[in-house]
Amino acid sequence: MHESLTTDILILGGGGAALCAALHAKRRGGPALTVTVAVKGLLAKSGCTRMVQGGYNAVLNPRDSLQRHFADTIKGGAFLNDQELAWMLVSRAPRMIAEMETRYGCFFDRNPDGTIHQKAFGGQSYDRTIHRGDLTGIEIMERLRDAVLGQDIRVLEDHRAVRLLRDRSGQRVCGALLLDMRRGTFTVARARAVLLATGGGPTMYKISSPSREKSMDGIAMAYEAGAVLMDMEMVQFHPSGIVVEGSELHGAVIEEGVRGAGGRLYNARGERFMERYDQARLERSMRDVVTRACYLEIMEGRGTPAGGVWLDASHLGKEFVEREFPGMVERTRAAGSDLATGRVEVSPAAHFIMGGVRIDERCRTSVEGLYAAGEDASGVQGGNRLGGNGVAESTVFGALAGDVLAEDVVGRAPAASEEGEVRRAIEEVTAPLGRDTGEDAYALLDRLRAMMWEKAGVVREAHALEEAIAELQDLEARAERVKVHGRPQANLEWMLWLNLRSLVVTSALVARSALARTESRASHYRADYPVQDDRSWLRHVEIRRGANGGLGGDGPVVATRPVRITRLRPDQVPAGAEWPGVPVTHDE
Amino acid sequence: MSGERIFRVARGGAGETARYQEYRVPEGDRVTVLDGLLHIHRYLDRTLAFRYNCRAMMCGTCGLRVNGTERLACSTRLSAVPGRTVIVEPLRHLPLIQDLMVDFEPFFDAWRQVKPAFVPARAPRESGQAPDESVRVPDEPARIAPDAPERQVIDRHRECISSAICYSACEVVSVSPEFLGPAAMTRALCLITDSRGGAREERLDLLNGERGCWRCHTHTTCSELCPKGLDPTAAIEQVKRILVRRSLLKLVGVYRPAASESSRT
Repeated sequence: MHESLTTDILILGGGGAALCAALHAKRRGGPALTVTVAVKGLLAKSGCTRMVQGGYNAVLNPRDSLQRHFADTIKGGAFLNDQELAWMLVSRAPRMIAEMETRYGCFFDRNPDGTIHQKAFGGQSYDRTIHRGDLTGIEIMERLRDAVLGQDIRVLEDHRAVRLLRDRSGQRVCGALLLDMRRGTFTVARARAVLLATGGGPTMYKISSPSREKSMDGIAMAYEAGAVLMDMEMVQFHPSGIVVEGSELHGAVIEEGVRGAGGRLYNARGERFMERYDQARLERSMRDVVTRACYLEIMEGRGTPAGGVWLDASHLGKEFVEREFPGMVERTRAAGSDLATGRVEVSPAAHFIMGGVRIDERCRTSVEGLYAAGEDASGVQGGNRLGGNGVAESTVFGALAGDVLAEDVVGRAPAASEEGEVRRAIEEVTAPLGRDTGEDAYALLDRLRAMMWEKAGVVREAHALEEAIAELQDLEARAERVKVHGRPQANLEWMLWLNLRSLVVTSALVARSALARTESRASHYRADYPVQDDRSWLRHVEIRRGANGGLGGDGPVVATRPVRITRLRPDQVPAGAEWPGVPVTHDE
Repeated sequence: MSGERIFRVARGGAGETARYQEYRVPEGDRVTVLDGLLHIHRYLDRTLAFRYNCRAMMCGTCGLRVNGTERLACSTRLSAVPGRTVIVEPLRHLPLIQDLMVDFEPFFDAWRQVKPAFVPARAPRESGQAPDESVRVPDEPARIAPDAPERQVIDRHRECISSAICYSACEVVSVSPEFLGPAAMTRALCLITDSRGGAREERLDLLNGERGCWRCHTHTTCSELCPKGLDPTAAIEQVKRILVRRSLLKLVGVYRPAASESSRT
């Protein structure tokens, strides 16, 4: 029925967090430690670190400071960040950049004096985004992959995890059930510790930017395994997904650096509408502010016929745009427009989820044996992630998790999973292959995406969220009646169905958490509670699986918990664009 | 110009002779080959197997042959493909898994041969064991001006997305499967040019060897087809020049192994 393997550390995922974890675990644990990476595609080619464009935030310039990066991150996150995790992010990022340059051979762009160049990104009080052109993720992932190839790390490509396995007590994660996507067979991977590094990827929205295989699998599996999730209502919509109707390219992001460099946004009337939303920062405002502005322009009838607004960088000069943003120019030309010489139609696109599995400062989740890093985890980015803080989180916390795992597995006995759990999971996962008739996975996915966009998207309110929750219960039931055609081998429709299942579960967690937060904060905007309420809501919304499972009735259990405000209080920050006593500078 | 195209798609699994199946695909003016395959999968045939991830020219996963020429499905607009019929076949030189889905292993096997992992010229310091020290403080990133000669070389030849398009298109790989291929040697050039890195001599020995650069016949197909506009042929030619210079210097007994090409004066 299935094959088996045993490893000390099982890492699920193949992006920045997974590979940094594997490299660190191996370096810390030495030759005796076995590390296995299972990835839902090809190594370093799937995942969202690959898709990083603009770059990586880290403090390198003595005129910048960790305190400023920290304050920008907390302000950007609207004080919902776990401040200890956020401090770890900013304080470790510079060393991680050094590590990537000196140990893995990443070669970031330089200033004329040979030091690393840093560019302007939204919501930052200093130009601190390190990059390689405008396709930074390629440089990072290719080099991390090369480093992994040089190590004794077992890599299982085209292996997606479908279930976290628990021991007989049900309290400890002791491995995962993997599906070999090529052969259509199952492997039980038994491990002393499991790291979730699959990335989030909120692709349950009509327009979304992440790599197409992303489907929130890690968060969905953690939920099923009973882990506490946090801030699931905090979904980031990038302001500028490219509008290409009828093409899969639809939603792919035009990077924030274009606005950082002076790119402007116009509505269909030709108005530079950011003047009305953030007069000080204009297009350089935080992502949530720019997104909401674009969304409102479109919803209030000032958008283009295809439902977008215009991003225009042509005044910066063709030569400048081609030199600074070659990847973006290539992308727009592939879609029949041209960023270097004209305007480009863009729309908000679901981009990232700040929420996820709750972790502590050692990447431990609330379930023994289970760890999380990167987009699967929560707390670091609060209510809104600054551009350039995502790959920093993946690599910093991936590296940390690798070190912690290598230490934690010492002396920890492997546990056997409950055999019945494996059998039930395989039956459940293979069920659609045997059906003569059934629901259509594509149709359900379309329905899910339209519904989430409309009812749990950029602007939310109680009634729509309640409708979304009810509809998700229906979708959950219908998803279990899907028919998948063909054989188990190399079956894309089967993968699509597994993606749908993860997305339905996590959508319900998003909608329920969004309903619970009766205020507006950062990426979460409630039309019926439009004001940020610091008196009541400097709290996380936590959600976990109920005793009966499922999404209906007493399914998910919602609670709240105060944010750890250990370093910077909201009353210490003025409302303006500038940090007290620190002028905003933009180095050339 | 909206119309209809005929996709003739190679079907079949490992060890089978490909059979070609035809599908009618609507053509919008901004639609790509990938969009065509997704249309087939959704509306015409759920059993078609192919690879794609990022759909935005970054992951290098959706390589295939369009009318006999290697392309990324995501960046090939149908309007740019001449003729009514679009023949879609898997990449060559890689074992077939199913239909258009291949196993990249031979490509990465060649890649592994050139020791693609960066080896620091001077090993970073190792430090304590506590997790807080985990991300150790190695040496600072090197100061290298953007107009430094090594930077010029490396900038021109990196940004490879390991799509295996050049590997599939290479006629030398066709006749000599042990040939390292264009991508791996381009990676090797970047490594031996990087003043920060070591292991230069062993990489040069490998490039000089049986599987290395001398087998390249300068067909330039790789450079014509690279989806990122890189020039592997030029990279291989540069490797050859470095090797010639090395042998000449060795011959006259003045060769001094350096950490990297660019640290030589």
